[in-house]
Amino acid sequence: MSFPLHLALRYLRSTRRDAFVSFLSAVAAGGIALGVAALVLSLAALSGFQRVLTHEVLERSPKLEVELPAGSGDAALERALATVRAAPGVRAAEPVVHGTGWVVVAGGMVRPVDLTGFAGSVPASFPGAAGGAEGLYLDSSLAAVWGVERGDLVEVVSPYPTLVPFGPPLPRVRSLPLAGTFERPRTQEDRSRAALPLAVARSLLPGRQPWIEADASLDDAESLAKTLPAALPPGSTVRTWRDVNRSLFFVLRLEKAMMFVAVSLIVLVAALALVADLALIISSKRSEIGMLGAMGAGPAMLRRAFLLLGGLLAGLGAGLGTVLGVGGSYLLDRYELIGLPGDVYVFDHVPFHVRPLDLAGVLVLTVTLAALFSLYAAQRAAALTPVEALRR
Amino acid sequence: MTADLAPAARGDGAATGVTVEARGLTKTYRDGQRVVEVLRDVDLAVAQGELVAVVGPSGCGKSTLLHLLGTLDRPDGGSVRIGGTEVSTLAGERLAAFRNRTIGFVFQFHQLLPDFTALENVMMPARIAGRPPAVAEERSRRLLGEVGLAARLDHFPSELSGGERQRVALCRALALEPPLLLADEPTGNLDAASGERVLEQLVNLQKSHGTTAVLVTHNPDIAARCDRVLELSGGVLR
Repeated sequence: MSFPLHLALRYLRSTRRDAFVSFLSAVAAGGIALGVAALVLSLAALSGFQRVLTHEVLERSPKLEVELPAGSGDAALERALATVRAAPGVRAAEPVVHGTGWVVVAGGMVRPVDLTGFAGSVPASFPGAAGGAEGLYLDSSLAAVWGVERGDLVEVVSPYPTLVPFGPPLPRVRSLPLAGTFERPRTQEDRSRAALPLAVARSLLPGRQPWIEADASLDDAESLAKTLPAALPPGSTVRTWRDVNRSLFFVLRLEKAMMFVAVSLIVLVAALALVADLALIISSKRSEIGMLGAMGAGPAMLRRAFLLLGGLLAGLGAGLGTVLGVGGSYLLDRYELIGLPGDVYVFDHVPFHVRPLDLAGVLVLTVTLAALFSLYAAQRAAALTPVEALRR
Repeated sequence: MTADLAPAARGDGAATGVTVEARGLTKTYRDGQRVVEVLRDVDLAVAQGELVAVVGPSGCGKSTLLHLLGTLDRPDGGSVRIGGTEVSTLAGERLAAFRNRTIGFVFQFHQLLPDFTALENVMMPARIAGRPPAVAEERSRRLLGEVGLAARLDHFPSELSGGERQRVALCRALALEPPLLLADEPTGNLDAASGERVLEQLVNLQKSHGTTAVLVTHNPDIAARCDRVLELSGGVLR
């Protein structure tokens, strides 16, 4: 063991003898532990939140969306569909059309609704509706409120009226049986939605051009977003699930960064307490430092010894904080200890997930701050001349 | 680092003393508006293996002179050569290394490190020098045995008597067999019997190792045991 480390370890042990030094050392190490634990826990909560949301988004979003330039006809759509389906990595691709309309509910009340026309099976963004019969699909809670049951005919009104040579425009209305209901995804904004067969949707939304939603692995989706546009008509847009949800992920990342900065202040304050503690230790050991200098311990050796002492105190705090943070995150997540009203919030409990990169970031921050502040204090010890220190 | 040192000043275990020469040493302290001239143009020459006592009343500057000779402080004027090395040319790490290998100190108050045992305190100069712990321990055990402290190796300073502490401090000063030993009132804090024992051991070790030594005291009886006595008075050495 090197002499500076030997000295630092012995001084760490000796801090227990002086009640005030011992108290300050406990405050410094405890403060760092608290800061690290708070950082780990808060980042784990946000990571847990992100993970659940990402999972949710992934499950409900098409991995790729392809939009052809305005004015592309059905033939172009068919060719693009064939191109997308033939692209390596694409598991399925279907055209969809989106628009807004109204449904007429009990008592002749008209309610606005976002319409999604689909071909093939009901899209994944309508969970619980897959595999149903052809017809209209409504949010289960809305169907209940509106008093509509499976098999009931529901009138869907288009915002595009039919123009006739004489007389006022005629409303464009289609009656569809309620084929099924779906659960509202937790990440979905609070709007009424309905799914209906593509052909009906297109007849109700004549101005709307369909686009293509494709399913692929996440990696394939990223590479397809780069390669597909070359195989499609010029002006086509290819978006991945990440592009579609970019603002959501940006907000989550921003929130996490702000949380990191805010909670880091605890570590900063604890690092200041560490300097105070080291300054007190150095002051109380002034004559010993003088004697070490008289024995030939140079400034570099003294600096190293007190830097190591600061490092040991910070290391103890960071170690304890990591155990508290990681252990606490595990227990809080495993036993769902922080419950939330599931009907109000997206989750019924706060999820926690410790990401190794977050933990590394916390430890790097702690080590850097502790090293900088310890270096300041250690420099004071190194700058003492032996005769000044011995005169005390 | 040893390139800075004269052959006899390397403290490599083959210790014989070094010559010490001080020329025109001056040192002043400022006390508010008042300037106190502690040392005035002091010349001193100590031969190899010589034991010199510097006597004088309290506050006459004896300790200051010892600090200047021991490179713990810098003079305002004049020079100090130890074993042919002009110490004013050294600073920082080089000066610390020079001090480590060339000079052993014994102070009035033992200045042992309270968190280390007697053995660890004596091993300290060798640990600072980067010597292997086993080698440092073997020599430290032997030294402590020579001064009758073989049974006190693992005792902390707080568990030792005043005389025992000062003997540990003496062993620590000689741990690296430095060619120069500087002692500042080494028995000043001890009762007569303990002081006599410490002094006897100091003189014996100094003679047996051929170490050059400068001993500061205000006690004429102690000074009488030395090869030569110099008196410091009014900042001038006679």
